[in-house]
Amino acid sequence: MTQTIAVAARQVDISFGSEEAKVIALNHTNFSAHTGELIMLVGPSGCGKTTLLSVIAGTLTPQSGEIEVFGQRLDGLSQEELTTFRRKNLGFVFQSFNLIPTLSVVENVMIPLLIQGASHAVAKKKATEILEKVGLKGREEGKPNALSGGQQQRVAIARALVHEPPLLICDEPTSALDKDTGAQIMEMIRELSRAPNRCVVVVTHDFRIFKYADRIAEMEDGKIKRVVDDPRTLDPTYL
Amino acid sequence: MLFGDTAKLAMLLCGLAFSALLMAQQTSVFFGIMSWTYTPVVNIRAHVWVSDPMVEQANDAKPMRDTELGRVRSVDGVAWAAPLHTSFLQARMVDGNFKLITMVGIDADTFAGAPAQLSQGQIDDLRLPNTVIVDEWGAQLMGRQVKGPDGKITTVALKPGDVFEINDIEARIVGICKVRRAFTGGPFVYTTYDRAKSYTLGARRTLSFMLVEPVAGVTPTELCQRIENETGLKAWTTDTVIWDWTDRSLARATFWWFWKNTGIPFSFGTAVALGLFVGIAISGQTFYSFVLENLKYFAAIKAMGASMRVLAAMLFVQAITAGLIGFGLGAGMAQAIGRVMIEKGMPPFVMFPQILIATLVLTMGISFVSAIIGIVKVSRVDAATVFRG
Repeated sequence: MTQTIAVAARQVDISFGSEEAKVIALNHTNFSAHTGELIMLVGPSGCGKTTLLSVIAGTLTPQSGEIEVFGQRLDGLSQEELTTFRRKNLGFVFQSFNLIPTLSVVENVMIPLLIQGASHAVAKKKATEILEKVGLKGREEGKPNALSGGQQQRVAIARALVHEPPLLICDEPTSALDKDTGAQIMEMIRELSRAPNRCVVVVTHDFRIFKYADRIAEMEDGKIKRVVDDPRTLDPTYL
Repeated sequence: MLFGDTAKLAMLLCGLAFSALLMAQQTSVFFGIMSWTYTPVVNIRAHVWVSDPMVEQANDAKPMRDTELGRVRSVDGVAWAAPLHTSFLQARMVDGNFKLITMVGIDADTFAGAPAQLSQGQIDDLRLPNTVIVDEWGAQLMGRQVKGPDGKITTVALKPGDVFEINDIEARIVGICKVRRAFTGGPFVYTTYDRAKSYTLGARRTLSFMLVEPVAGVTPTELCQRIENETGLKAWTTDTVIWDWTDRSLARATFWWFWKNTGIPFSFGTAVALGLFVGIAISGQTFYSFVLENLKYFAAIKAMGASMRVLAAMLFVQAITAGLIGFGLGAGMAQAIGRVMIEKGMPPFVMFPQILIATLVLTMGISFVSAIIGIVKVSRVDAATVFRG
């Protein structure tokens, strides 16, 4: 299968605060991910994983450097253009699921489609279909809080994919799950990454799921320290 | 989202409903009380009232000489003119108690200004010596207190045949009438103009107003102009639509006199303002708290690509829908309370359609302010916060 560059970050700089309180989050960072790939961003707390993820997701604008996602340069886009870009191209799976507790399961999954302007009927049909695919048929009308952690993360995945985005951003997708459930979720995410025009970027601290990655980018002090194919080659102290 | 949070929704609806209730109910009571100020114009029916030029409103009688009546009758366009006496007097009841009354002396020949409806007795009996007609509420108020076998004290309303005294002159009740109650509060005691003069112990000037009817083809306004031009007296029309800015309406002049010269508008205005501010405080705080609790979800939706326009629309729809429901509940409760008040007769309650419209607008205003508070908060949330745990 031909792999093309899905995400490219070149010489990206981001810092927070000023003067003595200045914190450099990304320091001339370079990063790339390909279509059909599941790449993980790992590293100690404060190394810049989340900042890089935010930059790739278009929720944070770098102070310098280039960000390209599926051929679209994000640096220099206005907030409105970034919002439109995210709406069409990105799906999110969050650490704490971020399912709206007052909405039903199917209503949660409908959100990305409704944001895109789909009718309620079309959104509900598609949401119901994808919920069936993630194994939640019959749970559509229940509230998310009535589901187990694994089921809630499935709902979050369904919500992330219902509008068929090419880039899936997962922020600590297994941190709130037990080992077995986390494994099931990662199987599902890995399978999704196999779509020819899709790329999955996962930020994680959970070494138990490293085996699901095609590549692992290890970060340190705002830079990509190295990119490996085999998790066993990562820094043993970190593991 | 808001409608899935039962506790927040209930709190918000309570705030909005209470606010709408307070605004609608207090305004309706205000207009009810203010409508009582021009009760004489409603009860004493005539197309034109004539008064001393210094009179400012219907309860402000500045007695004229009886000879003025002849001058008015001589004005071209006057079909007839009748004298009217109004005064506040003390009535001494059979049990020795005193009651303040509003005495109304009407023309014995024409009975112009007589009450429209008698529940007991007949108007012609007013021509008998020392006779009066008392209104229903007055009959109850002036009634005598009787101790029952169980020791309980009850009030027995006055009825035809009962007597009391005004300035030591007997007043025998021959009828009970139905009239609207007045702001001044005292019971209405109707008698003839001449007898009213005797009850006032020979005051030199007893002509409070003149009731005038125009001939066919002459409007009340035209006749007022003619009377004023020819006699120098003040002439008034009697339309009671206070929203109509005709400058000769005695009812309207009375309404606005009380508006300007009493603390009633300020008092009720304070209550309405309180309703408005309490509504803003409760619903604003509740809506803000709802937004605050759901901020991470709004951030997530923002990250998913929802524009601020979409998020603002979401918040507006929720706030405005809550506002409409709150208004419905509040206005409904105000209407229900009003019905009970009307049945009890106290205090007065007049809910104009304009009051409901104004309450709706203000309730929507509260919802709008609440939505704006929420929108400002959501607009400031950074979509990137969704990745910060």
